[in-house]
Amino acid sequence: MSSSTLLEPTAFEAIGAPWRIGVGGAATPTSSLGAPLSADDRAAVLARIEQFDRDWSRFRDDSLVARIAREPGSWSLPADAEPLLDLYERLHAATDARLSPLVGASLDRLGYDAAYRLLPAGDPLPAPRWQDSLALRRTPAGLVLDTAAPVLLDVGAAGKGYLVDLVGELLVQRGLPDTVVDASGDVRVRGERSIRVALENPFDPAKALGVVELRDQALCASATTRRAWGDGLHHIIDAITGRPVDAVVATWVVADSALVADGVATAMFLADPARLCAVFAVEWVRLLADGRLEASAGLRGELFA
Amino acid sequence: MTRMMTGRARTTAARVAAPIGATAALLGTLTGCSTAAEAEVPVDASYRDGTYQANGTYESPNGSENIIVLIELENDIVTDVEITTNPNNPTTANYQGQFASGIGDLVIGEDIDQLDVTVVAGSSLTSNGFREAIAAIKADAVES
Repeated sequence: MSSSTLLEPTAFEAIGAPWRIGVGGAATPTSSLGAPLSADDRAAVLARIEQFDRDWSRFRDDSLVARIAREPGSWSLPADAEPLLDLYERLHAATDARLSPLVGASLDRLGYDAAYRLLPAGDPLPAPRWQDSLALRRTPAGLVLDTAAPVLLDVGAAGKGYLVDLVGELLVQRGLPDTVVDASGDVRVRGERSIRVALENPFDPAKALGVVELRDQALCASATTRRAWGDGLHHIIDAITGRPVDAVVATWVVADSALVADGVATAMFLADPARLCAVFAVEWVRLLADGRLEASAGLRGELFA
Repeated sequence: MTRMMTGRARTTAARVAAPIGATAALLGTLTGCSTAAEAEVPVDASYRDGTYQANGTYESPNGSENIIVLIELENDIVTDVEITTNPNNPTTANYQGQFASGIGDLVIGEDIDQLDVTVVAGSSLTSNGFREAIAAIKADAVES
């Protein structure tokens, strides 16, 4: 943080990651995230995040996801569920079922469970097939999820990005249209200002592989070196095999929403970028396991490698 | 300080030192070892300084593979993590080598401190999972 920064943004920890939120317009220096939230706005943001966590967390036993994992039934989903599950349906199709919200049990098997056991409990477990496990009904009262057996959902591929969108929306409703919400790897800027985002080298956090300019957009980063608990063991799973992927090391995706940027950043480990770009309006960067750095032609920014 | 625990693999030779008794078990949960921990771990959760090692196996598409994990503890802080690979298969050797030698050697980039940026998007701020894992491993070593 530069010493000339006068105001520090709001900072807190939530859903297992540090968050920072700054309020600022076109005059805010590039090096600054912006001014902090008021105490009321901060409290409202924390309450919104808590609500999302209570619905969607795989890591707490009082969540809706935990109840869905215990018994089959018809589950009324919260109002924020539809955009998230719609995106999952599109990602599932665009990756030939390699990206799925049903990898919860696969992650558990590999040791990434609610207790952070971090010890594989046997051979990799392919995720159950979507059509065998879930049916979504649109009803006047909202989205209903029908399950014939207990299923462990994991919205890790897009959930944090979506929450970044929801927090920004909440702040717009509270009269703050110009914000940057940075949830460690998932960032969205709203309003008139442009920000510059460094693409961190996943093997050296002091180095950037590039810089991307964002204006009224989101950028989400995903890396197999994040949340890794052993060589070859990390949180990005191919649902078909139940195994962690190994051909791609890190991805960064720019989109109009953090929901789409986060989901597609995960999908970039599992499918050809050209195919994803035919479905989603995104720009992207990928670091492959052989050291190559790839990027889309329309990316606004520069790469250093 | 989390930067020291980013998992950046290093290629330096492993230094395995005292304390002998506790070494094998500290990383048991990480690597699949089931050796019991040394019972001498003090109640105030102070661990003796030194390098702790564990061997582990995992199933890859090529079959069973081996890794050796070393953690260096200093004043109860993990100051270094090293993963040494011991692959049985040339394809795995290739992939493991790329990870263990650090792709950072090939793709380095520019110093973030020298760039005028608003946000850094990557792994340095998302080490909670890793910190929690280390905490779990230490708790396991105490309980065993």
